[in-house]
This record gives sequence, C-alpha cells and structure tokens, in this order.
Amino acid sequence: MRIQLTIFILLFSLSSTASDDKRMKELFQNYDKVMKQHKVELVDDVFSKKFLTDNGGKEDFIEKVKELPKEKKKINILKSWRKTKIANTYFAKIKEAQFIIIEEDGKLKIDGTVSDEH
Amino acid sequence: MEYPQEVNPEWPLELVEIHKETYKRNNKASFCVRPVEMVDTLVIHHSETPATTTPLEINDFHLARGTPEDPWYMIAYSFVINSPYARTSLPIQKVTEGRPLEIVGAHAGTNVFVPMDEDQKRQWEENKILCGKENEEPKLDPSLVLNGEIKANVTTIGIVVNGNYSPFSISNPGGYSKKSPRYPTMKTQDLVAKLSCQLQKKFPRMKKIKWHSYYHDTTCPGTIKSYIGQIRTLAKRYGCEFN
Repeated sequence: MRIQLTIFILLFSLSSTASDDKRMKELFQNYDKVMKQHKVELVDDVFSKKFLTDNGGKEDFIEKVKELPKEKKKINILKSWRKTKIANTYFAKIKEAQFIIIEEDGKLKIDGTVSDEH
Repeated sequence: MEYPQEVNPEWPLELVEIHKETYKRNNKASFCVRPVEMVDTLVIHHSETPATTTPLEINDFHLARGTPEDPWYMIAYSFVINSPYARTSLPIQKVTEGRPLEIVGAHAGTNVFVPMDEDQKRQWEENKILCGKENEEPKLDPSLVLNGEIKANVTTIGIVVNGNYSPFSISNPGGYSKKSPRYPTMKTQDLVAKLSCQLQKKFPRMKKIKWHSYYHDTTCPGTIKSYIGQIRTLAKRYGCEFN
C-alpha cells in the first residue's frame, strides 16, 4: 500500500512538473511575441498586475514595447526554470535574463527580473 | 537643494539615520565573517526592481534565489537605499541596514578577485576571515584567495539603491522608456554620499566608491554609474575623500 502511494505521489509530481513546464514554455513564447513582435494584446497574459502597475501602468508599458525594434520570433526561448521556496513563485531563465514568475488568476506571469549578484 | 559652502570638520558623525531591520536567515547556508576594517570599497548597485521595494522583500527574494547546492544566507547587500525617482514622491527616503557589516556580502560576483594591500594580506594570513554555518565552528576557506588576490566581496560592501536605472529592453522589461530616461535625483545622490561619508568616518579604510559593472559584465547599476563621480564630489562637502 505504501509503495503504491509512493508511486502515485511520484507520478503526480512528474505530471505536475510536466504541466508547469508546458505553461512556462507557453508564457515565454507569449513574452517573445509581446517584446519582439509587439503583440501587445498579450500583455495581460504575460505580466502580473503588480508588475504593470509598478512600471507605470499597462498603457505606458505598451508604449515602451512599441519603442523596441521588431524582431523575428523564436520558437523556444526558455532555457530553464525552477520553483522557489516562496509559494507559487518561480525563477525562469532565457538567454538574455532571469525572471521572477508568479501564479496569478491560475496563470503563470512575469513579476520582475533578477539582477545578478553573488 | 542648498549645500553648505564650507565643510565643518566637526561635522556630526551621523549624517544619515540608518534604520535597522530583522531579517530571516537561512541557517543551512554558509557565510564568512571578516574584520570590517578590511573593507576598502563601497560598491553601488541598483536593485532592478521598483523603487518602492522594501529591504525585507529583497531579503526574501535573495533567500529564494539560493538552491540546495548553493543556499544564500540572507540579503546580499549591507545597505538598502529607498529614494524616489524624479517627479515622484514615493518611496520616502530611507537607509536601512542589510547584511551586518562583519558578514561578507554576496554582491560583487563570486569569481571576482581583487588585489590586497599589506594590511589585508596580514589579516588573511592571521586567519581573520572565517566561514561556516550558524552553530558550526568557523574555518578558513582557502577558495577566498587565488593567486594572491582575494574575493572582491571580502574587501567591499554592497550598497543598493532600490529602483531600475537601466533602459527597457527584452532582458529588462522593468526598465525606463527611451523618452524618459531615469537618473538618480540629486537627493538620491546626496543620500548615497552621506551614507558613504558616514561609513568612512567610522571605518577610515573605506576610501573607494565603485559600481557593480566595474567588477564584471552587468548592466547594474544602470545610469547611477554615470553619477559616481558626482557622489564622490558630494561626499567631499561632508568632509570625505573617495576615489
């Protein structure tokens, strides 16, 4: 019984990680679309409410996106991600930066960037 | 803002009020202690977060950044400065103590080594820098010195100005717009200068002010880098010389 329970927990955990992986990849595909192709209709799906508020509001943020040059999209920009000890908070890396990701309204969203210390 | 034209050599030691905070610490993480008198450089950073981020939030965030293989002990910086951007009123200006001064910080880059002067070499040779976890017997860590140079974190302390002073980009979505670049205000520069001078008056070896990207490839501290010279000049008005 104990072995069955252990196997069940392991399978559930693997399934949960696979699901988070899919969501994380989707988040960064949308991030790429927003920042490189100016698909600003996705801004609320990609960035947390707090992030947008802290950065001058959605309209200001969209203006900044539009100042960036458009680039070709990339299929998968996510390099790695991990859960942190803070509930519903993750770190995720792309080639250019590391991000703080939170769960908001059932979706993964970018809540900030990570500056490099150590 | 008006500044005194002549510096009073008896200028009070307390140029700025430093607030204390109680931080959670990770007792699974190692840390090193060293005599504060070894520190010769103040390193300026920006947090790459909103200006309103609190020291406790930075501490939580730094604890979360650690991994089981590389746990972080606590907030990496020794001081946190909150100061508003231009044309904003929040946050209220405040300086908060971060990591205690005698605990080696984690801000300049773990693989960055700097030369030691004779006195610093002597402190190293006399085993004045010891490392370990809480409730462990502290030990010498030979990896702190390489080819006669010491890890930069040992002879520096980190001062972070909360805010994002780098431009908006794919790698920095919290950055400023090209149309309205973000620079540290005169009040922010003055606060950094006052804190730096207050530290120098207590620890006279602290004679240098540098910035994070001086030590390795990073955008930190953004536009604050261009104001380091001005900060040194402001510190002179309070009776301190920095290079």
